[in-house]
Amino acid sequence: MKTEDTTRGGETARSPAFAARWLRARGRVGRRAAGIAILVPLISAGLTLAQAYLLATILHRAIVDQVASASQTGAILSLLGLVAIRGLLAWIGEAAGIRAAEDIKQAIRRDLFATLMRRGPDWMRQRSSGELASQILDQVEALDGYFARFVPAMIAAAVVPVAFAVGLMPVDLVVGIVLLVTAPMIPLFMALAGWGAEAASRQHLTALSRLSGMFADRIRGLLVLKLFGRAEDEIVRVRSASDEFAERTLAVLRIAFLSSAVLEFFAALGVAGVALYVGLTYVGLLDLRGTGFTLQAGLFCLLMAPEVYMPLRTLAAHYHDRASAKAAVTSLAATFENLPPVDEVVTAPGSPWSPSGAIAVTARHLTVETPDRGTILSDATLDIAAGETVALLGPSGIGKSTLLEVLARLRSHQGQIELGGVPLADIDEGALRRHVASLGQRPRLFHGTIASNIRLGRADATDAEVRLAAERACVLDFADRLPEGLATPVGERGRGVSGGEAQRIALARIFLRDPALVLLDEPTAHLDIETEARVMRTILAFAQGRTLLIATHSMAVAALMDRILEIDDRQRILVRAPDLTAEPVLAQGVA
Amino acid sequence: MRLLFSLFAARAGGLALALALSCLTLAAGVALFGVSGWFLTGASLATSAMAFNLFGPSSMVRGFSFLRIVSRYFERLAGHATTFKILSDIRVRIFSRLIPLVPLKAAAHRTGDFVARLTADVEALDMMFLQVVAPIATAVLGALGLGLFLWIVLPDALPVVLIGFALTTLFLPLLIALSGQRTGAATVRTAADLRVAVLDGIDGHADLVALGAVDGARHAVDEAVASVRKARLRQSWRVAFGPAFVVLGTGATAIATLYVGLPVLEQGRVTGPVLVGALLAVMAVFEVSGPILRGAGKLGAASAAARRVQSLVDMPPAIRDPAQPIAVPDAGDITFEQVGFTYGRDQAVLAGLDLTIRDGEHIAIIGESGSGKSTLLGLLLRLVDVESGGIGMGGVDIRAVRQADLHAHIALLSQDAPVFIGTIRDNLKIADPHAADAALWGVLEKARLDDFVRSLPQGLDTWLGESGETLSAGQARRLCLARTLLSPAKVLLLDEPTAGLDRPTEAEFLADLLAVTTGRTLILATHAALPKGAVDRVYRLEEGALTLEG
Repeated sequence: MKTEDTTRGGETARSPAFAARWLRARGRVGRRAAGIAILVPLISAGLTLAQAYLLATILHRAIVDQVASASQTGAILSLLGLVAIRGLLAWIGEAAGIRAAEDIKQAIRRDLFATLMRRGPDWMRQRSSGELASQILDQVEALDGYFARFVPAMIAAAVVPVAFAVGLMPVDLVVGIVLLVTAPMIPLFMALAGWGAEAASRQHLTALSRLSGMFADRIRGLLVLKLFGRAEDEIVRVRSASDEFAERTLAVLRIAFLSSAVLEFFAALGVAGVALYVGLTYVGLLDLRGTGFTLQAGLFCLLMAPEVYMPLRTLAAHYHDRASAKAAVTSLAATFENLPPVDEVVTAPGSPWSPSGAIAVTARHLTVETPDRGTILSDATLDIAAGETVALLGPSGIGKSTLLEVLARLRSHQGQIELGGVPLADIDEGALRRHVASLGQRPRLFHGTIASNIRLGRADATDAEVRLAAERACVLDFADRLPEGLATPVGERGRGVSGGEAQRIALARIFLRDPALVLLDEPTAHLDIETEARVMRTILAFAQGRTLLIATHSMAVAALMDRILEIDDRQRILVRAPDLTAEPVLAQGVA
Repeated sequence: MRLLFSLFAARAGGLALALALSCLTLAAGVALFGVSGWFLTGASLATSAMAFNLFGPSSMVRGFSFLRIVSRYFERLAGHATTFKILSDIRVRIFSRLIPLVPLKAAAHRTGDFVARLTADVEALDMMFLQVVAPIATAVLGALGLGLFLWIVLPDALPVVLIGFALTTLFLPLLIALSGQRTGAATVRTAADLRVAVLDGIDGHADLVALGAVDGARHAVDEAVASVRKARLRQSWRVAFGPAFVVLGTGATAIATLYVGLPVLEQGRVTGPVLVGALLAVMAVFEVSGPILRGAGKLGAASAAARRVQSLVDMPPAIRDPAQPIAVPDAGDITFEQVGFTYGRDQAVLAGLDLTIRDGEHIAIIGESGSGKSTLLGLLLRLVDVESGGIGMGGVDIRAVRQADLHAHIALLSQDAPVFIGTIRDNLKIADPHAADAALWGVLEKARLDDFVRSLPQGLDTWLGESGETLSAGQARRLCLARTLLSPAKVLLLDEPTAGLDRPTEAEFLADLLAVTTGRTLILATHAALPKGAVDRVYRLEEGALTLEG
């Protein structure tokens, strides 16, 4: 898609013109429903014209021609029919607008999430998850009114007043021409109404969100304020902050409301002007027509005068939808650095890879830099033989976890890494994940049960296999104490799970897999000595015929491994002698 | 709703003004249209200008137009001004009611989710007057005025007009609001599910990538997105009734008036101009139904929000002050005697716990996370009360003193201590509003944050939080630590003070803990390795009991 290229770089993506273009392109998804939502008000406007004409006719016949009321029943019933159809159209139009908006929002949400999932873990680490989730939910929701109401209202405002003016011409040329002449001014009115409404709603929303932000902040920290005896004082601050917001917002609103007063002025002028013009013509004080003016024609003009301005009022009422949509697009563009193009096909690069048995791991000139902690490794060398079990030591914060993430291709690096002789960068994503298993320090439990979390390791695992994996990872130690066992809900809204428990559940996932390389980051960090020993026994049994690298602080764990590596404060990887007391030597040249 | 009533009562003057202006606007619109119709019909029937008084009606038309514009402008201004006042009233009131309630007992109230919901609930209440109450009140008053007018000029049409108007402005909106409640709940639920699915995908991204399960997460989100859409579409056809009812109600009532009015005209009980005027006035009064039907959709959400907020502020405080409080002794030992308490999600139990801390002593409590260290500190502060046994301070049971006095005596650095929106200075001064800058720099130095703050261009005046400087987790932690150290309290409780600090900094901090807290009693809850001599004694909390280490 071309959009990708034209929007590279934050500036373009954040410009208002870009937001409008993106919204238009996005609107195509809901084209069908949106078409109905746009068409219906136009049809309804035609019926309004017919309804006013019919009403004027009935009144004319009753008052001027003094027709018997019984003979008008047919006309009144047709009037009722027109009203019923307009009611139905209003219903269809509204529902179609909502549908269009829902279709579009669904497509955008899917694309945004897919974009997120494609961004590397490096990108994700630097952002707050709550903020990203709120973008996908709340900011996309802010587009709702734009597609559901603003777009149909905008088109109606552009078309309907002109149509009405033309429709009035056969009845009275003067009224028609006056309205048609004011028609070119309608974009001006629209801009005027829009400017005011937008400024008003923007100010209002900013004030409200600032205030809500502060309120939420103080509620969140209320306990701290209370313990320091400061809660009462904070009430005064909340009060004075909101008073200040109110004052500033009102100052803007005072001017912004003027614009809608101008719109009101024109609408009132239309009604009053038509009434006076027609009235003066009747009594003969004004004669621009030449011919006489019937009551029917006069009433028709009077009934239509406010209708001409109706679409403009509707537009003004929905103008804030446009402002919120634009703000949302700007915010999406800023967060995602780039909006997802409307359609895009992605193919993952890489060559198929199917190692048989354990694989060797080698790294040359490995340099790893992190945005938050600076350089972790510089020009380091790493050699692990196929089938070897290796412990990785070093004080916390030195970069053990980072190295494991690099080897699992979850973090970017410079230099060469080869797994089983194949450059890491060339390995197909699916194959890499099949043959390399890694356990992070703080694994995430997903919304579901303990069992469903374990089953993430292998989707087709049987209940017995899940239970066996849970047993080997000592998950059953705590799961069996819970009333629902492995079926206990965990994750975002389930039971809270301690760090150690979460890690064991994540370890059980790995036991369901058949990897050639296993990377474990402090798998026993939160365990007591006895459980640690049990977990390590099963890990070592699992590591038979595989290559294992464990980052750990525990000497007991390290002593169980074939070899111990260490990252030193000069950002190198050293080999430590098995007796744990000798000085470490440089890893270079050791097989 | 009680809450809203009392809030509205407090601002009755401003609300009455806004309402009066709103009624005036409606009346001017109705009069403008009605008089126009009457004048126009009358003029067409008049044979000459002499026979028709042109001057009166035409100036009325102009007058009503002008009145409508002016009153609309001031109506909106008055309505917003009062809404802003109510908005601040709501927040202040909820905030002050919450003070005695924290920490909230129910687990549902403990999450960040609760704060988000409370904020959203309060926002839903903000617009109640402008969007719901004012249009409905205007409609009711408008119906009264119109009824009076019709009673005089066209009594035959009075019943149909009142019925049509009541249906369109009151009963149908209520129906929509009620029927929307269930589908509204489904919408909220599916949105919450989507949030969970998205958060799972983002927070668990590295795990998903490592497990090769990204497509599964995408699938889950796709499904959640589809359910959100489905729930919204199910709701949409009800929502769409709103605009349809406006068209139907206005049209049907006008036609009914016409149908009833024509025979009356025939019988000569009403003149043509008056009939047209009345008919147009009836059509004009329906102007108010648009905002009502728009607001009706929000009524369900707003009343649910009001109920939730009300039930929150109605909660009785879990901990009450004694009727005759005793002063907290200035010095003395802290004693836990046979303390029993059930805590945590696994209902772990402290049983018969004894602990004595002498005045000025420094002790540490270590143990796995979840072992009850934080609970122990909370008991001392009376955030919760012991179930059996007692806690004394200088020989006085802590239940015999005012909570505020107890809190002034003890300062806590909790695990989830927040950084507030405001400047660094604001954040520190929460602990001691009268502290001089020198004291602020002193505690920043002790928390090893002074170099960082000095490096900021605005130093202590740097704005933190929303649209301000953001601190790293470690820096935020240190700022909270500095705040706690600034407190003049005699007793310091530090719960995992070094979380977020790197190892060397943690070691340095723990090493000079002694110097930082000289003269004060210190209870340190941590699972960090403590250097020798950092504290006087170390206890391990395990299985609900304390054992002396080393």
